[in-house]
Amino acid sequence: MSESGPLLEISELNVAQDGETLLERFSLRLEAGESAIILGESGCGKEALLRVLGGFPDKNDSITGSIAFAGGESRSAAKRLRPPIRIAYLPNPLSQPFAPHASVLDQLVRIVARKQGAPLGSAREELRLALERLSEAVTPALLDAKPGRLDPVTQAIALLAAVSAGTPDLVLADHAMADLGPGAVRMMLELLAAERKRLGFGLLYVTGGLQPPARLGGRVVVLRAGRVVEEGDAARLMSGHAHAYTSLLFRALPQLSFEAVKPRPARGQPLLQVHALGYGPAPQDSLTFELRRGASLALVGEDGSGRRALLRALLAFEHAPAGRVIFDAVDLNVLSQKMAARLRRRIAFITGTDECLDPRMSLWDTVEEPLRAHLNLTGELIAGYRETALKRVGLASHDGDRPVASLSPFDKRRLQVARAIVGAPLLVVIDEPLRGLDAFGQTILREVLTDFRITHEPAFLVVTSDFTVAQSLAEEAMVFHEGRIVERGAIADILREPREAASKALIEAVRLPALPPGQASV
Amino acid sequence: MSDTPVLGTVLRAAGWAGLGLIAVTVSLSDFLARAPAGSTQSGAMLHAPCDAHPFGTDLLGRDMLSETLHGLSQTAFHALLGAAVAVLCGGLFGAVAARLPRPVALTLRGVFGIFAAVPALLLTILAIGLSARFYAPLAAGLAAAPLAFVRAFDHVDIDSTHAEYARATGIPALTLLKRDLTFEFRRMLGSVAARALAAVTIILSTASFLGFGAEPPARDLGLMIAAGKASYLTAWWTAAFPALALILLILCARLAAGLDEGERP
Amino acid sequence: MRRFLARQASGLVVGICGAVAVAAAISAIAEPRAHGALPYLEAAAARLGHFAQGDFGQSAISGLPVLDELAIRMPPTLLLVLAGAVVALLAGLPLGLLFSVGSARRAAAPLVQIVTAMPVFCAGLVLAYGAVHLLHWPVSINLPPGTPVPPDQALQIAALPVLTVGLAGAASVQLALRRAAAQSSGEAFRSGLKRLGLGVFEIERRFVMPQVLAGLVASAGDIMLALLSAAVVAEWVFHRPGAADLFVKSVALADWNMTAVILLVFALLAFFTEFLGRIAGFVLANEGKP
Repeated sequence: MSESGPLLEISELNVAQDGETLLERFSLRLEAGESAIILGESGCGKEALLRVLGGFPDKNDSITGSIAFAGGESRSAAKRLRPPIRIAYLPNPLSQPFAPHASVLDQLVRIVARKQGAPLGSAREELRLALERLSEAVTPALLDAKPGRLDPVTQAIALLAAVSAGTPDLVLADHAMADLGPGAVRMMLELLAAERKRLGFGLLYVTGGLQPPARLGGRVVVLRAGRVVEEGDAARLMSGHAHAYTSLLFRALPQLSFEAVKPRPARGQPLLQVHALGYGPAPQDSLTFELRRGASLALVGEDGSGRRALLRALLAFEHAPAGRVIFDAVDLNVLSQKMAARLRRRIAFITGTDECLDPRMSLWDTVEEPLRAHLNLTGELIAGYRETALKRVGLASHDGDRPVASLSPFDKRRLQVARAIVGAPLLVVIDEPLRGLDAFGQTILREVLTDFRITHEPAFLVVTSDFTVAQSLAEEAMVFHEGRIVERGAIADILREPREAASKALIEAVRLPALPPGQASV
Repeated sequence: MSDTPVLGTVLRAAGWAGLGLIAVTVSLSDFLARAPAGSTQSGAMLHAPCDAHPFGTDLLGRDMLSETLHGLSQTAFHALLGAAVAVLCGGLFGAVAARLPRPVALTLRGVFGIFAAVPALLLTILAIGLSARFYAPLAAGLAAAPLAFVRAFDHVDIDSTHAEYARATGIPALTLLKRDLTFEFRRMLGSVAARALAAVTIILSTASFLGFGAEPPARDLGLMIAAGKASYLTAWWTAAFPALALILLILCARLAAGLDEGERP
Repeated sequence: MRRFLARQASGLVVGICGAVAVAAAISAIAEPRAHGALPYLEAAAARLGHFAQGDFGQSAISGLPVLDELAIRMPPTLLLVLAGAVVALLAGLPLGLLFSVGSARRAAAPLVQIVTAMPVFCAGLVLAYGAVHLLHWPVSINLPPGTPVPPDQALQIAALPVLTVGLAGAASVQLALRRAAAQSSGEAFRSGLKRLGLGVFEIERRFVMPQVLAGLVASAGDIMLALLSAAVVAEWVFHRPGAADLFVKSVALADWNMTAVILLVFALLAFFTEFLGRIAGFVLANEGKP
């Protein structure tokens, strides 16, 4: 198809909802085969942009402005007409786009068939070919299962295959790789770049994280509160020669530090002592280590590598087949429920899925519950502790009676930290703390957790797949791969001289390439 | 999206307002009624609605307006009693039982499940037949309790993730129970009570229609409609007004319970 | 799938045993010597033994063996329940599906609340009134029970109880449908699949409808309870001789043998319907497949 004009031209797009402006005077021109990354924190208007371009606006959106496709005539953006080019939408598998009771393969084949206007048989063949190109591991047979059975990375690959099987002219990626783990994000972005090179489609990638601009490069449009703050090449924006807001945004991009760190001598009493704990599939997987008060340990590995199994054995959620776990000089498995409960008060949890929060409780009740349940304090004292904890995490000005269910993920995460602070724990278990947060949220949460560690000195047990998180919160690490611990030691040592392939892969996943200025990486 | 909550709130408010109005009417029934309950007027049999008798008279010459008002207060009072029993022995007990030690909880669930397999109406008739008629509202409440118990029991999510984490951090089971009761019940008590009221009203009135109601001379609406059954095909007012009053009570209770379709009625 | 089957089967067995025990307990009330806790328990145990041998006692009213009496009276009731179920599905299914679609559900909810606020006996009386005054049909409301019915009027006489039971069942059916629809409406996949490119109709037909129907089938137990309740009322209102009507009379005349056995039959009916419904719902909802 010969195009005399740009693939996509947006002029003066305004989107408002209930009197609130979501997007203001947005203009963009995208040539065929070009890519643009729309970057901003949550609420900056990128969701509204995607809704309008994708053709699924909200009922209360009021839209003005015009859009022209493929050099055709400019039409009002408010009208939902079929665009003359093929537009594909690439969602994030964690947003649960699939019907939970039907097979993923069935759904994808139907999507491809509808996009192509082809019968199901040829759509299935197209999908199979696309999957072959992307990954050997993901086959149509594997995808013939319910979405609950497939891990998110497999679903992401399947979605990308479905998108490319439809041979689109323009792909709208909606935070497509967010929260998949740095290794997976890197792999998926490389696959996306390869597909774009092969098929030549235009790409509009909407994101709140900094991995896509750092890895894909190319043109970046920075949005803030509905307005374009800056537009330019990724390398230049990352280098610091940019608007103050952009620089602030990119400064949030965590980098690994490879400097030699003076080892901190282990000072406190032993908090967690593990003797020959059987944790993995093979009988010889037994673990012996010691975690002292105030020290911290990171369990680093991809999803499914066995970190959480070890965590459950450590915290005596389940009876381990062999070995002993001693928490604060007491064997948890030997104690009765009631006595173990008293010890367990000194453990706190912070999880990335916010599942330790009861959605029905209010903000204040969540923070006050450990105090009320375990101590006999007056209402004033409880209120005092609550205020202190909430101030530390920045939630003091929020309405205390709001139910937890109505909070944003960022607020929920901070609420978990406040609840942990209030309990004065000896051990804090942190599980993927930055999941679901945008760039600013991640920076602030890192600061909150580091501040918590410095002021209260609990021991941290961090479960993560991101070495930068491990480095900022812990000194020692255990690297997991396929259910076993492959490497242990001080993080600084592992970073400088990784011995195992798994460790190297995890380090590479968060090591960002230096992008030469003015050159897109694809 | 934003009109559903508004509609829901309006209807719920209308339901509670209706119940309030009925409560006022019931408490003033002795004043509003022109004649004491059950009093007949000779020579005034089966008069159509007119100025002297706005709701007409029945087969025995009783003024239908007075009878309806007295019957409404009887039915409403009995239903309230029965609803209280159903909520306490059914809903509340079910929510508490779910957090008891597992073998005890499952046994209770099994026992109540057997009784919940029989239609509540039949249980009520049986219970009233076995005991004195004086206990009719109590029997209706107890008969409606098994179903309420089973629903409340199944509603408690004992293995929810946040409960697991709470136990892992040493929060005692009693606190978790308090959590459930405070947050669920406080939010739902109004709608649970209204729903129980509607269900018990239907059961009680049907039971008294079938002849298992409270002792005469107290006549409630079900009994009135049963009495009107003989004559209503020709004299429609003998059954229509009690029926309307009954439907109004049930409707207001249903509306007050809310439009939550996720919940069963 | 097997675990689910085993759980449902064990629930069924527990239910049946419990129902039989309760029936024995009720039947033992009739025992003249059962005064005091221990003699009563002994009488109940003895009754249980009789049940095991197939001896369900005799009716205190007619003197006939209970099973013989039920053999005459139960079939009309079962027929009534079955016919009512057919009407319930015919009326409730389309209405329920209609009212479960998005905006119609919100608008229809208050209307449905108003209509279902009517107790079954009121509905029966209204239907009879309409039949007499609008259709000029004969009704059996005020006929003495057991009056022979001329064959040309039999259908009209039989129609009203069936319609009454059917409407009560229809209310239950459409409630089950709306509940299942409400559950699936909150899920993210509807907008997700739409954005990916599938049409709304295709999404509803292939992915939403099976879940909604599965929800309906799984609620078969509730619907059966509603039908049984309505059958009792309908038989009484329209003076149809049947087991449900017999139940009411037995309780009124303290014939506990008969009461216990009728209750047992109804409970078994409800248990089996729930069991079959749950399994069918499980299969329809595709839960068993990986």
